[in-house]
Amino acid sequence: MTDKTADQTETKAAPLAPPAQPAGPSPDKLIVSSSPHFLNTESVPKIMHTVVMALFPAVAASVYFFGFRALLLVLVCVGSCMLSEYWMQKIRKKPVTVHDGSAIITGMLLALTLPPSFPIFGAFLGSFFAIVVGKQLFGGLGFNIFNPALLGRAFMQATYPVLITTWTTPRTIAEAVDAVSAATPLALMKFEGKTTPIMDLFVGNVAGSMGETSVIAILIGGLYLRYKGYINWKLPLGYLGAIAVVGGVFWLVNPAKYPSPLFHLFAGGAMLGAWFMVTDMVTSPVTPLGQWIFAICGGVMAVVIRLLGGLPEGVMYSILFMNAFVPLLNKHTRPKVFGEIKAEQS
Amino acid sequence: MNTFTKMFLNLTVVGVVSGVILAVAFNGFDPLIRINKEKELKESIFVVLPEAKDYKVLEKTIGKDKLTIYEGIDAAGQPVGIAFKADGGGFQGNVGIMVGLNLDYLKLKGIKVLDQLETPGLGNRISEPAFEDQFKNIEITPKVEYIKNRKPEKPNQIQAITGATISSDAVVKNINNAVARVLKIFPKQEMLKLGEGTSPASAESKEPKK
Amino acid sequence: MADNTPTLWHEFQKGLWQDIPPFRLVLGTCPTLAVTNSVINGVAMGLATLFVLLCSNLIVSALRKYVAPQVRIALYVVIIALFVTLADMFLAAMFPPISKALGPYVPLIVVNCIILGRAEGFAQKNPVAPSFMDALGIGIGFTLSLAVMGAIREILGFGSIVNIKLLGDWFEPWIVMILPAGAFLVFGGLVALVNYISHRKTAAGTNP
Repeated sequence: MTDKTADQTETKAAPLAPPAQPAGPSPDKLIVSSSPHFLNTESVPKIMHTVVMALFPAVAASVYFFGFRALLLVLVCVGSCMLSEYWMQKIRKKPVTVHDGSAIITGMLLALTLPPSFPIFGAFLGSFFAIVVGKQLFGGLGFNIFNPALLGRAFMQATYPVLITTWTTPRTIAEAVDAVSAATPLALMKFEGKTTPIMDLFVGNVAGSMGETSVIAILIGGLYLRYKGYINWKLPLGYLGAIAVVGGVFWLVNPAKYPSPLFHLFAGGAMLGAWFMVTDMVTSPVTPLGQWIFAICGGVMAVVIRLLGGLPEGVMYSILFMNAFVPLLNKHTRPKVFGEIKAEQS
Repeated sequence: MNTFTKMFLNLTVVGVVSGVILAVAFNGFDPLIRINKEKELKESIFVVLPEAKDYKVLEKTIGKDKLTIYEGIDAAGQPVGIAFKADGGGFQGNVGIMVGLNLDYLKLKGIKVLDQLETPGLGNRISEPAFEDQFKNIEITPKVEYIKNRKPEKPNQIQAITGATISSDAVVKNINNAVARVLKIFPKQEMLKLGEGTSPASAESKEPKK
Repeated sequence: MADNTPTLWHEFQKGLWQDIPPFRLVLGTCPTLAVTNSVINGVAMGLATLFVLLCSNLIVSALRKYVAPQVRIALYVVIIALFVTLADMFLAAMFPPISKALGPYVPLIVVNCIILGRAEGFAQKNPVAPSFMDALGIGIGFTLSLAVMGAIREILGFGSIVNIKLLGDWFEPWIVMILPAGAFLVFGGLVALVNYISHRKTAAGTNP
């Protein structure tokens, strides 16, 4: 549930048997049209407000652990995303929809995946790329193939590979150690074979991307969104489940070499990705089977990259990779089983 | 002239003429290309064995394992160390390194990264002198190691490049593998004998190359 | 743009904008993407291609009356391969660093669509002089395209141009621009730009 919500909630509701939970007042009849489906624009700001609320604990945790620089980065990313959206819509001579809030969420999510010491100009560049290339060049809200925040993050990873892997220790434990160039729990595990206490991971008292460290803050936000009905439970469940199962198989085979499934779930971007990025309704499939395939394949891939690939973390690339399959999954997983509800409308 | 004859003549004439031109050009260019390659090899050997002024090629085969090493010789004709290539996978492709080893088989004399496709600005810093020079006088027993973000503490340690652990790891791993192979195929005793001037019976020495 | 009478000048200039290979014809994209991480590499690749293109167009045009149509493609490939091998050996002998930087992409000129395309689409139907001008125009257009790609990528990726430091220390190089991903981004941007300018020209009625 990132950049796109209200219209998508409606879109998704159509093929599923019980409409998932319409965001606002239900439309009187089922309108069949090609996407994007702007049926219920009044409720967009309301939903975006909810998602911003859901991200608030993660932002608060990042400020608590990494200081006010984290807040500054969030503000820069949000501001740059909104500005870019405004510019692009002006240039494309489209109605300006900055107020719908989707750019705010892109900016927040991008900021939460950056290291706390990331430079301001980098944050601006990443936000610009996320909105302009990741979203507006594809046609704007609802047309983008890839999650814009993750695309911006991937661009930053390729553009500033050193800066984006320069981590700082949270200020809560910084006094004893050199504050610069700490290692993330995943990097410690991969390159030095050290594990991090699960409790530290759960609270967020570790080095890492600002908003990814604190599992509990993300869980609060994610569960709040689930409670509000804006998250399809299949996606986070499938993603996290696959990570746990595949990570668990490796762990059972060789517990000395591979970390426990709990470590996989709590370390790195797995939680933030599962609750706020896999669930992005624009870039995830609409059919139940497609959603399962999407989430499970993504989870498997994240663990495979972590354990067998060159990089310590695989969440970002796993989600972007599966994003590319969404049109294919939508096409080949049309809900024949659910055909009771007028199959021809899918 | 019927079609078949025309086709036949076309292909024959063009093929023969091209072949002749290429043969002539090859004769002209090939010595230059060889000189370039040899110069590259020679320079890399002299970088990793700084005292060397010339080198000898030693080849030896044990079973299927064929290995070529280069013995550096100083101005006085005395062996100063051996050099060999270490290849292996890096982050994106092969990382090929020329490794210089002291004749006592205890310490590296230097390394030079010859081929690499690592990320520009990050992994490709393994080919910068700042990284390569760390390997001078590094002990190879039990094996070369790297540590991160700290100054090396032990005589067999170097410091990895920040943010490029995978590339640094590849360099160290390739060196260790190559050193192990050299130790197996060209055992220390033989090389020490070489140092005394006796040619090892099993190693086939070639003419020194200029 | 110029009138439509096929003058030699017309054959030459069409390769510079109207038919500029990578951006308008979208041909020869493999070297365009692969070797343009610096201006020097781009220009070297462009010149190697220009050489092969000139020679093959000349020979194909000169031989056009004697070629049996059934085997023409085989002949063209042999002729092109001849000059590519010459160019490759020349670079390896005279400019080893450039030869190393371009790697397999010089031998790959053999399968460059621009060259076979000009031989098949132009040189085999036209006399020697227009074929020469055609090859010169297309080749220079290709070289310029690679130079522009190389310049953008080198400035953003290294902060320099032709190895001369252009941007100060404040500039943090965009590593992505030297990577394949950056090649695709710049290529897409330039295709869009060229199309945009062409459409504006068409709309303005200067290019009927």
